[in-house]
Amino acid sequence: MNALKHHKYRNAVAVLAGILFTSFVVLQVNSPTVENPPVTSEFHGPEEVTRILKRSCYDCHSNESNLRWYDKVAPFSYKVAADVEEARKRFNFSEWDSIPKADQEGKLWYIVNMIDAGRMPLPEYTATHPSAKVTPEELTILKNYVTSISKKHYAAGDTAAIMEKPKVAHVPTSINGIRYFEDYKTWKVISSTGRPDNGTSRIIYGNDIAVKALEANKILPWPDGAVIVKVVWNSQAPDADGNVKPGNFNNIQIMVRDAKKFADTEGWGFARFSGLDLKPYGKTASFATSCINCHQLAKGTGFVFDIPTRPVGE
Amino acid sequence: MKNLIAVFISASLALAACHDSRKLTPAPETIFDDHGLHVITSFHNDRTGTISVLYGNDEALAHASRERDTHTPGDASPGEVFKLVTWDLKQNPLWFGSNINGAVKSVETVTVSAGESGPVVDYSTEGSDSKSAKNAVLSNAERISFIFAQRASVFP
Ligand code: HEC
Ligand code: HEC
Repeated sequence: MNALKHHKYRNAVAVLAGILFTSFVVLQVNSPTVENPPVTSEFHGPEEVTRILKRSCYDCHSNESNLRWYDKVAPFSYKVAADVEEARKRFNFSEWDSIPKADQEGKLWYIVNMIDAGRMPLPEYTATHPSAKVTPEELTILKNYVTSISKKHYAAGDTAAIMEKPKVAHVPTSINGIRYFEDYKTWKVISSTGRPDNGTSRIIYGNDIAVKALEANKILPWPDGAVIVKVVWNSQAPDADGNVKPGNFNNIQIMVRDAKKFADTEGWGFARFSGLDLKPYGKTASFATSCINCHQLAKGTGFVFDIPTRPVGE
Repeated sequence: MKNLIAVFISASLALAACHDSRKLTPAPETIFDDHGLHVITSFHNDRTGTISVLYGNDEALAHASRERDTHTPGDASPGEVFKLVTWDLKQNPLWFGSNINGAVKSVETVTVSAGESGPVVDYSTEGSDSKSAKNAVLSNAERISFIFAQRASVFP
């Protein structure tokens, strides 16, 4: 009786192993391969900078992916191929000029901040490719690099005569239905920021619900109805005393909390109106995906960067 | 072996520290209660490590918005109230490249009232940033001129 049971068990194991082996083989046969299309417009930077990016990022964000043999074994190959595809879609060092010139510098700051936050290279990737990790010294090199290129661009500041235009007659509306409004001018300022990275000055306002949520430390998640508005000016060149004052109006950005309506973007509705004519930003509603992707870096504060904070425990 | 343990411990500490700098809690005490005043303008200063917002009542905003070369104490009109709030400037812990206000350092108030021989300008300051008494009179005059000289930011 016992022997029979044992026999049956052995059979089952054999069958199972057979199934596993066959599916493993089928998986290998169907395993996706990562092609390397031609390099059309490579990113150029100082050698010490490109060396870091090549080693740590190029396997995914370039057309020069150099995958190891174990990246090509199923089931891992599926995950790796999907990551490479998504990474190239986001930005590609081999097709750098496909990013509009005006946005390239911003992308470099984004890159530095993704590393700074420990989000890139993908942690699951560095677990098997430890040499891809960016060391603190290398991060400093990258930070100095982006700082130096932005200094060059924004050193002169917005010295243009400040433009004031008559108000727009109609109410500008974002493609996702968020309308521009003026009430924020009576709201509390929750923070103000100066950005050497892109040469702008900002004031951030919160409505009552947002301010109360901050006061009650109830921002994970932020309550429905909270609205945050950021007004952005180009910075003028510093005056003799070093004061950097706002120059021309640049844009206004809005985040509206409605967990249900904006479930696809972590419960925040995004809108941006550019220039004094308040031109709504985004051709399709999917523009908000790029907003929330970057705002993921502020996940710990409910996807909002500019709130007054102190480190936990202080 | 001892070395290895030391390396491991410092590495985990470094990791933990890394993590902590992004673990934040709101600090709503830095939000200024404007009691209905308007934002006139803002500015920051990397040398002094500060960032400021200038507030004012209707009269002050109207004055700062007027087309002019400078706003001197001489052309102040009774009723104007200005408040210049100054915070520490610190790196935004969530974004390398953006500097954000920290704690409030000072609140300076300038009020203009009607006197017998023209407008009377009053200046007061509260906060950790008060200047020594000796230079106070001179610097008060300087601060008043500075506040009057600010032009309103352009809003849509
Ligand atoms: C194993 C593949 C892989 C590697 C290596 C990798 N990335 Fe990524 N990267 C991705 C994927 C997948 C995404 C999109 C999903 C996400 O954000 O997690 C992404 C997104 C990004 C984004 C957001 C871009 C956008 O527009 O949304 C930035 C910035 C970025 N990576 C920078 C880097 C940098 C810098 C390195 C090297 C230090 C790097 N990545 C290495 C796979 C990778
Ligand atoms: C590459 C990263 C990135 C992208 C993309 C991005 N933001 Fe932001 N956003 C930031 C950072 C960093 C801050 C805080 C620093 C600052 O602007 O002063 C911020 C701040 C804001 C704020 C003020 C509240 C807060 O979170 O601090 C609003 C509102 C906002 N962004 C709206 C938008 C909208 C709308 C979009 C899409 C059209 C967008 N953002 C896309 C990085 C990004």
